[in-house]
Amino acid sequence: MTTAGGNGSGSGAIGRRVRRADGEPKVRGSAIYGMDHIEPGMLHAAVRRAEVPAARIVRLDTTAAARMPGVRAVATAADAPGLSGMLVLKDQSVFASEVIRYVGEPIAAVAADTPAQAAAAAAAIELELEPLDPVLDLDTALDSGTRLIHPDWESYQTLVPGPRGGNLAWEARLERGDVAAAFASAYQVVSDEFRVPRQHQSPIEPHAAVARYDHGRFTVHTPSQFPYLVRGRVAELLGVRPSAVRIVVPTIGGGFGGKLDALLEPLACVLARKAGRPVQVLNTRADELRTAGPRENAIVRLRTAVDADGRILAQDGHILADNGANSSGETVACAGVAPLALGGTYRIPAARYLSQVVYTNTPPTAAFRGVNGPYCIYAQEMHMDHIARELGIDRREIRLRNVLRPGQKMVNGQVLSDAFLVEALESVEARAPWAELTARSRPLRGVAVVPVTWITNPGPAEASLKLAEDGTVMVTCAAAEIGTGAVTTGVRQIVAETLSVPIEDVLISAPDTDAGGYDHGAQGSRTTYGMGKAAGDAAEQVRDQILQTAADLLEASPEDLELVGGQVQVVGAPDAAVTLAAVGAAAMWAGGPISASGRFVSPPVPFDAGCMAGALFTHFSAASYHAHLAEVEVDPDTGVVTILRYVVAQDVGRAINPTMIEGQVHGGVAQGLGYAMLENLRLDDAGRVLDAGLESYRLPTALDVPPVDLEILENPCSSGPFGAKGAAEPPIVPVAAVIACAVADAIGRPINELPVSPFAVLGALRQGADVVGAST
Amino acid sequence: MSYELSVNGRRESVDVPGMTPLLDVLRDELSLRGAKKGCAEGRCGACTVRLGDRTVASCLLPVAVATDEPISTVEGVAAPDGPLHPVQEALLECGGVQCGACTPGMVMTLCDLLEADPDPDAQSVRQALVGNICRCTGYHKIVEAALSAAAALREAR
Ligand code: FES
Ligand code: FES
Repeated sequence: MTTAGGNGSGSGAIGRRVRRADGEPKVRGSAIYGMDHIEPGMLHAAVRRAEVPAARIVRLDTTAAARMPGVRAVATAADAPGLSGMLVLKDQSVFASEVIRYVGEPIAAVAADTPAQAAAAAAAIELELEPLDPVLDLDTALDSGTRLIHPDWESYQTLVPGPRGGNLAWEARLERGDVAAAFASAYQVVSDEFRVPRQHQSPIEPHAAVARYDHGRFTVHTPSQFPYLVRGRVAELLGVRPSAVRIVVPTIGGGFGGKLDALLEPLACVLARKAGRPVQVLNTRADELRTAGPRENAIVRLRTAVDADGRILAQDGHILADNGANSSGETVACAGVAPLALGGTYRIPAARYLSQVVYTNTPPTAAFRGVNGPYCIYAQEMHMDHIARELGIDRREIRLRNVLRPGQKMVNGQVLSDAFLVEALESVEARAPWAELTARSRPLRGVAVVPVTWITNPGPAEASLKLAEDGTVMVTCAAAEIGTGAVTTGVRQIVAETLSVPIEDVLISAPDTDAGGYDHGAQGSRTTYGMGKAAGDAAEQVRDQILQTAADLLEASPEDLELVGGQVQVVGAPDAAVTLAAVGAAAMWAGGPISASGRFVSPPVPFDAGCMAGALFTHFSAASYHAHLAEVEVDPDTGVVTILRYVVAQDVGRAINPTMIEGQVHGGVAQGLGYAMLENLRLDDAGRVLDAGLESYRLPTALDVPPVDLEILENPCSSGPFGAKGAAEPPIVPVAAVIACAVADAIGRPINELPVSPFAVLGALRQGADVVGAST
Repeated sequence: MSYELSVNGRRESVDVPGMTPLLDVLRDELSLRGAKKGCAEGRCGACTVRLGDRTVASCLLPVAVATDEPISTVEGVAAPDGPLHPVQEALLECGGVQCGACTPGMVMTLCDLLEADPDPDAQSVRQALVGNICRCTGYHKIVEAALSAAAALREAR
């Protein structure tokens, strides 16, 4: 575990429940969110979107629209020729040019003086289409003879080479150990198939972007989780260099992965350049649900060889994930996460995983907190229960027999030296003893426990720190505060501790890619970990400069000085002290202003590199370990599931701010519960999103969420600041698994599809036991 | 059409079509951008304001029917340069704010609840919040904040 090091007693900032720096404006209603940002002379945009899933554009005529009242610019594919994609595969353009590939795809956009004028003009754009056969079904998209959604797939650039072809957008593979031999010698082989729907992030703030164009540069105000990604993506789509794009991030009204990538920003930029005025593009809730990429629908097939004691000998897994019509979301980039999710918790000595991302004529899918983790873990856990049932082994016991212990290897060959899964299971056990919960025969009550290992995103970060003339410290970086408190509490606490200054004296700038150095985005729980470490690195350098300057002022040696409560004093002689303000002023004309940049990237982790292909994520950096337990009760008449008890043990490495961590766990469990029981972004047989409003796309309310009994575990991580690792993403990952397994236990039937809605429960109750999940 | 409104104790006059949602009037005409347009369909509660002695989803309420009673918004809950209202204070102290997009609506609903019921239990807080979606917090810390604010308000009385 790292500590503040010498020359500082720390300010006691680590582990404190400090308030968020952006809290007052948020509760007063004065915070300016992306959707609140306006500029003088700003125009309003409307997007003409495709209403069919697949068609050739025969004629597109904007002449009449361009002449309508108030219209300042009309843009089409000719204005944004670039191809881009989320990191990996460049198959996306801003506007459909010759071919329409999904309902909702932008065909043209209008900027006008008022939203109504823009909408009228967008509707007046003349369009003639020749329908194509839509490919909507994930199951059959790869069949030979299915129409290719991207006939030019071979011409698309990729970041790394990877298996792909036709409607197979991307494939990640993992193969390790002698799978065939393990299956041949198995005591038993168990197979299952699971299906999950799309889940929409649905932050309360919809996507919004305001762009302006001046002297060859774009300035975009957008509530982005990952400003540097948006900068690069806008540049690529518009065919300009990245430094021609400046991203400024106002307050963000929630993201959950949905605001990682560019969505409206390229549209706003194209229109702003054409109109010569700032342009706002703002999504309605229906736009959000129809076109802002959700977590992908997927099919997971698992086949596992076990010995007579229920120990896993080998697993063969096939994950079929829906990319939608292009790779503008993170689905391709995360294909390689699925094997790690499936093989990160249990010892799987031999494995073969095929993770395929498939094109369909549906809206592109994207990242949602935990990416494919929640459904891979759901599948794995329901499958484990199936194995336990086949072998007559207790469900907790089979997990304990297989769970990875310290020093054992994940499926990619990575050694988990700090594995803490048994401890997590024991933490849950201490509060909810399994024997007690499973002893009585309790009809229609069920219980499940799920251990899980999860990743902290390893991406790089840079932060600059400067000591101001009043003794305060300003942190400048491009890390986005999406609500977790990672920036407005966590990073500040790390800096305050390193410099032994009061937390109130650490200020942090708003993200702006012109000012803040690279940051890899608010994703994968990485902000406190990665940016925290970069800011901590900068703070250590600033501390050295402070001590050097103070040493001259106090005529002492730097080694004899300490930083305490915002001043520097001689150890053992606190009367000999100077304030940080005085140090800052003295430094100005001595060595120059006190400032430093810090940087971070997660250290490399050894793993068996030869076992994977097509994977952007190859290992679990700063792995964290968790266990969730749920007890549920099912009403046999209505199918309604009540969660009686929900218990969590979460390893956070080191708890920088327990209140913020609790908030992440509560929120993650609520979103996981939504995924498990309520949320299902349905498409109809014409490729249209059916759930275009919050009436039918039901989000959890205050009455849906169970109390969460949480124990925070501290199992320090050597690469994280003060031992911290990612905390925000893990709590959603095992929720659907534990709820579905508990419901399956309650009704005595497996659940092979999400969500576990009342209808699904009633259906399962009525159909009898032998519908799904038969062993082979 | 011209309408006279009373907003946060000030007389305001706006010239808009009568069917304009009150939310648009607040945000676009009066520059009160605290209330959020989360859905514009009465489902999320981020646009909640108080009209007379009740809360309304201002995204669905035509301005023409908002003229007879005083309107209060999140900006009027505490003076801009004054201390926070106990509800706002408790939301921050308990960690009931993450992204904060739901917060303006939460503040209004909780202020309304605590005036009607100074000593609610957790379940009645949850009932009161059923029209306010929070995608971030899982609600527990908001409920905790409501109970803590209720205690603070009772004490102050
Ligand atoms: S904006 Fe009014 S309820 Fe959502
Ligand atoms: S704090 Fe983000 S929606 Fe409630």
